Amino acid sequence: MHAIVIDDSRAMRLILRRIVGQCGFEVLEAGDGRAALDLLGGLDTVPQLALVDWNMPNMDGLEFVAAAREDARLRDMTLVMVTTESEQSQIVRALAAGAHEYVIKPFTAEAMIDKLALLGLVPTGANT
Amino acid sequence: MSLSASDFAFVAGLVRRESAIVLAPGKEYLVEARLLPVARQAGAGSVADYLGTLQRRPDPAAHRSVVDALTTNETSWFRDREPFSALTDVVVPHLVGTRAAARSVRVWSAACSSGQEPYSLAITLQQALPAGWRYQIHATDISTEMIKRASAGEFSQVEVNRGLPVQLLVNHFTRSGTGWKVAPALRENVTFQQLNLTAPLPALASFDVIFLRNVLIYFDVETKRSVLRNICKLLRPDGWLFLGAAETTIGVDEGFERVAVGRTSAYRPRATVPAGTLGKG
Amino acid sequence: MTEQPTPTVDDLREIAEQVWAAYLDPEGVRPFLVGEPGEPGTAVSASVSLTGGWHGHVVVSCSSGAARHAAAAFLAMEAGEVSDEDMTDVMGELANIVGGNVKSMLPAATAVSLPHVVAGADNRFPTTRRICELSGTWLDEPFSISMWQGRGLAEVPAA
Ligand SMILES: C[S@@+](CC[C@H](N)C(=O)[O-])C[C@H]1O[C@@H](n2cnc3c(N)ncnc32)[C@H](O)[C@@H]1O
Repeated sequence: MHAIVIDDSRAMRLILRRIVGQCGFEVLEAGDGRAALDLLGGLDTVPQLALVDWNMPNMDGLEFVAAAREDARLRDMTLVMVTTESEQSQIVRALAAGAHEYVIKPFTAEAMIDKLALLGLVPTGANT
Repeated sequence: MSLSASDFAFVAGLVRRESAIVLAPGKEYLVEARLLPVARQAGAGSVADYLGTLQRRPDPAAHRSVVDALTTNETSWFRDREPFSALTDVVVPHLVGTRAAARSVRVWSAACSSGQEPYSLAITLQQALPAGWRYQIHATDISTEMIKRASAGEFSQVEVNRGLPVQLLVNHFTRSGTGWKVAPALRENVTFQQLNLTAPLPALASFDVIFLRNVLIYFDVETKRSVLRNICKLLRPDGWLFLGAAETTIGVDEGFERVAVGRTSAYRPRATVPAGTLGKG
Repeated sequence: MTEQPTPTVDDLREIAEQVWAAYLDPEGVRPFLVGEPGEPGTAVSASVSLTGGWHGHVVVSCSSGAARHAAAAFLAMEAGEVSDEDMTDVMGELANIVGGNVKSMLPAATAVSLPHVVAGADNRFPTTRRICELSGTWLDEPFSISMWQGRGLAEVPAA
């Protein structure tokens, strides 16, 4: 299984890489939405999971999610926003744009794994 | 800076007396780390100073803070998920058949910690019960601090991340300060009370479902047995008891029978157990 | 004009508790001890600027020892393996997370800048005043989180 982590912070990419890596994913990284689309465009197999920050230079996470929803090749990729944006209206916007789940920073490793379990990407109770 | 054996024994004794929770030797670092903020808050220079004063001058409020600081309140939304699916798929449809006259369901969350369990139960029942049905969730815990927090219904970002599907967050909560607050439509169906499971239980109306999850693990077998006996008296004879994934009544209290519900199991009171019978009935 | 609700030191404390629970002290054994006078030991300051509905800055500053511990905890490394880049990135991310959480309590149109990390105390905010500060020690090292508010729309955000 593959995942792509899209965040402009190297520290956050390292944390996310570690957590989803522990769940058995091979992890790709991109620093913004545009770079992620370019990277995904050149891959033979599309990752099952994308963890997407919101505020990034070039193309932000909301635009990335919308673009990924439009792209037939990326249709099966599960999109999880991982961001400090936590106003109710912002979450609703992200869900409307096509995000499947939403994790608010700060989050614990357990929380991220719980969300992946909710999405059926790791077995339930992987955490306990 | 490390805790002396006698200070550790004092704390372990206190915690054991007040909550029946066993702190094994080797947990000195945990005691020290957890009590440091409590000691600082009380104006003591160190944990040793704080415990010294407490041993010379016992103070029930301070005893509570020590016990609170050392009990594990680890919890999450829809913990383990299957018990909640079992309510939706099996228990609620059954109750809708058997409680049609009253159209109401009573559930006890018997070690509710910071409230994720009772509010997860509220969300589950809200979604699963037919229109016109009512439900009440009674949530209790030994920790006054936890009861205060749970009853406020406010959760941090870190807490709402754990196991709560985002659609339910958006539907049942609103932003409040740095975190989130549970919607009044859920809150009004949940009552809270401080209650020690290992002390004689207060009079409570009986329940259709009891969640007694991830608390028996802290007790020795005698305490487990007496807690289960007392709980059984508050469960309707055709009710359900749900335990934590690592807990069972088997080999502890034969008054319950394990039954499969959905993809997990629950416990139901046995019809009658002949006096003196232990082991397989 | 109505007075906008401004985050308080209690809000900073709650945000800090969450950051510690998530990244710096998940076991709950190395708490941030608030209230001790932060001795003058600031070696690293990370900040984000907020603009739009509210103007100001959120600053996270600490000693280099604390920054090293923070990077080690955040990145699951030994303190000895931590590079300068690790410290800078982690401090920046801490400012970003605290700033983002503060933002969610401010008027809707507020935006958070990319983080900016400097050595020493951050003195780039001459036209602002400090409206609250949470200071104390973490692992016996000074640590503080503060909020600085601009005097109004005229203020040109630093960074
Ligand atoms: C690990 S939490 C479990 C919370 C929740 N039931 C769950 O499964 O997620 C254990 C809770 O049991 C409570 N507790 C410990 N001893 C207790 C006692 N003697 N009576 C009542 N509650 C107790 C603690 O305060 C804590 O909130």
